[in-house]
Amino acid sequence: MSAVENSADWLGARLARKEDLRLVTGQGRYLADIVLPGMLHAVFVRSEYAHARITGIDTSEAAAMPGVVAIFTGADFKDTVKPMPQPVVKPNLPARYPTFWPLAIEKVKFHGEPVAVVIARDKYVAEDAAECVYVDYEELPVVRDPEQALAADSPLVHEEDGSNEIFAMTLTGGETPEEQAANAAAVEEIFQRADVVVAERFRCHRTGITPMEPRGVLCDWNDSDGLTAWITTQRPHIDRLALSDLLEIPAEQVRVVAPRDQGGGFGVKAPFYRENLAIAYAAKALRRPVRWVESRYESLMNVGQERDQINDLEIAASKDGKLLAVRNRGVADNGVGTTGVYWGFVMPFLGAVELPNAYTWERGDVSLRCATTNKAALTPSRAFGHFPTRFALERAIDMVAHKLDMEPAELRRRNLVPSLPYTSVTGEYYDSGDFVKVWDNLMAQVDLPAFRAEQARAREEGRYLGIGFACGVELSGVASELLVPMENQPGYGAATVRLDPRGKVYVFGGDAPGGQGHETTTAQVVASLFGIRPSDVVVTTGDTGTTPFGSGSIGARAGSYFVSAVAKACAELKDKITRILAHDLQIEASVQHFEFTNGEIIYLGDAAKRKPFTEVVERIIMFPINLPEDEVGGLEHTAFFEAAKPMICFNADCCIVEVDVESGNFSIKRWVTSEDVGTVINPNIVDGQMHGAIVQGLSNAMFEEFVYDEQGQQMSADFEHYKLATAADVPDIEITYAPTPCPHTPLGTRGIGEGRPSSVPGALSNAVCDALRPWGVEITDLPLRPGSVWQKLREARG
Amino acid sequence: MKTITVTVNGTSYEESVPERMLLVDFLRDRLALTGTHVGCTYEGVCGACTVHLDGEAVKSCMMLAVQADGHAVTTVEGLAGADGPGPLQRAFSNSHGLQCGFCTPGILMNMSDFLARHPDPSDEEIRSGLVGNLCRCTGYVHIVRAVREAAREMREGASGVQA
Repeated sequence: MSAVENSADWLGARLARKEDLRLVTGQGRYLADIVLPGMLHAVFVRSEYAHARITGIDTSEAAAMPGVVAIFTGADFKDTVKPMPQPVVKPNLPARYPTFWPLAIEKVKFHGEPVAVVIARDKYVAEDAAECVYVDYEELPVVRDPEQALAADSPLVHEEDGSNEIFAMTLTGGETPEEQAANAAAVEEIFQRADVVVAERFRCHRTGITPMEPRGVLCDWNDSDGLTAWITTQRPHIDRLALSDLLEIPAEQVRVVAPRDQGGGFGVKAPFYRENLAIAYAAKALRRPVRWVESRYESLMNVGQERDQINDLEIAASKDGKLLAVRNRGVADNGVGTTGVYWGFVMPFLGAVELPNAYTWERGDVSLRCATTNKAALTPSRAFGHFPTRFALERAIDMVAHKLDMEPAELRRRNLVPSLPYTSVTGEYYDSGDFVKVWDNLMAQVDLPAFRAEQARAREEGRYLGIGFACGVELSGVASELLVPMENQPGYGAATVRLDPRGKVYVFGGDAPGGQGHETTTAQVVASLFGIRPSDVVVTTGDTGTTPFGSGSIGARAGSYFVSAVAKACAELKDKITRILAHDLQIEASVQHFEFTNGEIIYLGDAAKRKPFTEVVERIIMFPINLPEDEVGGLEHTAFFEAAKPMICFNADCCIVEVDVESGNFSIKRWVTSEDVGTVINPNIVDGQMHGAIVQGLSNAMFEEFVYDEQGQQMSADFEHYKLATAADVPDIEITYAPTPCPHTPLGTRGIGEGRPSSVPGALSNAVCDALRPWGVEITDLPLRPGSVWQKLREARG
Repeated sequence: MKTITVTVNGTSYEESVPERMLLVDFLRDRLALTGTHVGCTYEGVCGACTVHLDGEAVKSCMMLAVQADGHAVTTVEGLAGADGPGPLQRAFSNSHGLQCGFCTPGILMNMSDFLARHPDPSDEEIRSGLVGNLCRCTGYVHIVRAVREAAREMREGASGVQA
């Protein structure tokens, strides 16, 4: 830890985290560590088929096993639990929302779908009994390929919907069909006259960000308090409303607690899941605590699957290197879609919106179709929605540069949005920052002419080096303007700040982090504003019983929306503290005339007039007499923050690789970045967010892949087959900064980290293609592995 | 059921356990030592359940509790000394070598064994030593730094340069 001399300097200090002591000594409390007296264990029986009619379920043998308390099947839910969709988990986007219950009824629609749940006194017994639940199936044709799924003669996943097209949209400039047609025609006209056109089909495989802690839920019921549910969740307040609505339990009788320690979320813990509903129902029905801890096998079969998309992308450019128009036709493999809040298609929707990235297109024509298939629903994964579109765009830009015989880095710089604010051709608002500054900082880290010289020398020796670039505009929080239509939820941040008579500060937030260090960064903000120490600040998140409403730990909300609400609440309290202090000191002064520093409040007009922070706080809370007129005692405030328009952060990546042209093996020699993260609260934490995101991007791009066979069987449901990057697989990473404080947040902070993996596959594959320029290899598909590089090289060599 | 005698973090336990009970479940469910985590389907890939068996790092999801009969087990709860967290634990905090902390106990147990055998490792050796532990949050950069820093501090402590 660096020494912090002035308490104002807590903002920006490389402080060791408050969370760490308990986590390095085994004292963390994750969901699976919570035990209640009389707690029962749940195990789900899951579908063995991708698509089949259920013709019978025999639970008799399992039910007779000693220790088995209950077995529920779909029939138990059909008439007692409201089906989804329900408004609280349904976006304001027009779509064919499938109807579903916690357990499959009549038909199973993907391999791994829950069919029954066994509740037993012991988890080993529950697993034994689950093996003895016999389900008879009549197999149905499997809908596996998203383009075939959209054909008129395809079998249907959700028969009642009459189509496998769950969602379709077009972002073609304008609100009316006439305006959109006119824009599409104008885009076509640009393509007709353009000097250079690149048109390619880009494929991104099914992958995502699997957290190390799988999902879990523990529910407890009693007749006076109702339901208490501990859930691995990023959005406890949404889960609470959903449980109340679907189980028809009055809202005041539902409390959801996201454990303080969660083993990562990355979007996977953001949806409202059917398993939560089943366990809550069981706890209520049995009047016993019931816990389900997801196995890794179940997790990999059900969640963390995203990206899966085909993009037919076209770029028109002029011969002097001006990007003119972008046109994209996306088809997403939505999977079954039976997941609350997201339904599989909300991610591809945002991915289409974010396609244009940081470049100044004259026009764009972007559309998307999402196809229901007999696979697990797409669930959110960090770089929500835009991993495949960003890969396609950044790859296509290099292909334009190759056609123009121009440095890809130079082509990018010429076309970066030169000044903000700016609204993209798909209508996304970029509020502030300096893309060119970030880009130039990246280029200052990389001596491109020297690299080209080294590359040329290496080629003479038969060694193939390559350099690749990509950049990314990312959301910094999600404004209500976007989140209400997209997810039917508000975007504002909310925080309650409470002071106690000992001068300690308690912060309550309704989001639910999973490792991002909220306790530390929030404490640094509070400490810097009140002139106290971070150790004097206690942060509570995730408990709907004690925290103000929050839409959850999603979309980089903490550094943008949550800490901004905290800062606003602190400002209100400082106002009150100084009003009363000025009155006590018998001076005419307000908050701007005082400094809060090193545990004291000092009157700037006369430094002799100062009081310890703790003394003033205690006076206001405990001795509320002789107060100014109309003033009352007590120090607690809840503040809400919302920016008028959406906010962003920005980053750029450079990757250098060496490719073995005989085997296709490639190794990353260097990874260097440039980041606009606004005002930094804790550089360690920001560095760590970037490292993690980039390695997630690399792991997704090179290793991880969910594989379904011809029958829709999930073939990659363990870590032997779904490979995550290990320490030996990935390089060291150099993070550099070129920040512009955000003018729309009280501290200049930006929310960071969520979208960060998205520029990684572009930079990586651009580097590999750069190394293979002698053969003109252009990579269009992910994952990028030695085998695919070797295949491309073989094709290129003829 | 079988009665076993196991020393865990210096305390001897005599417990009757089903033969099929995994060591990780014995530690978590019987002894309430929940610092040892389960992150994969008992396949030994994620490494979150790593503990020491007679001083050597093992994955407690790959062993039965009865196999620990007569042996000494150390879990992350037993890693700190009388003065609090040891140099490896401190280094993980100082270098921001953890985010969600779920994989951390297993990494600490693996790396404490690793550092005993490799007191002055290169970054490449550290990365190679970490292949049995998956971390999803950190990208491993700060983990490697933490292990390097801990190694330095432990060497300096051992040579008396700096306590």
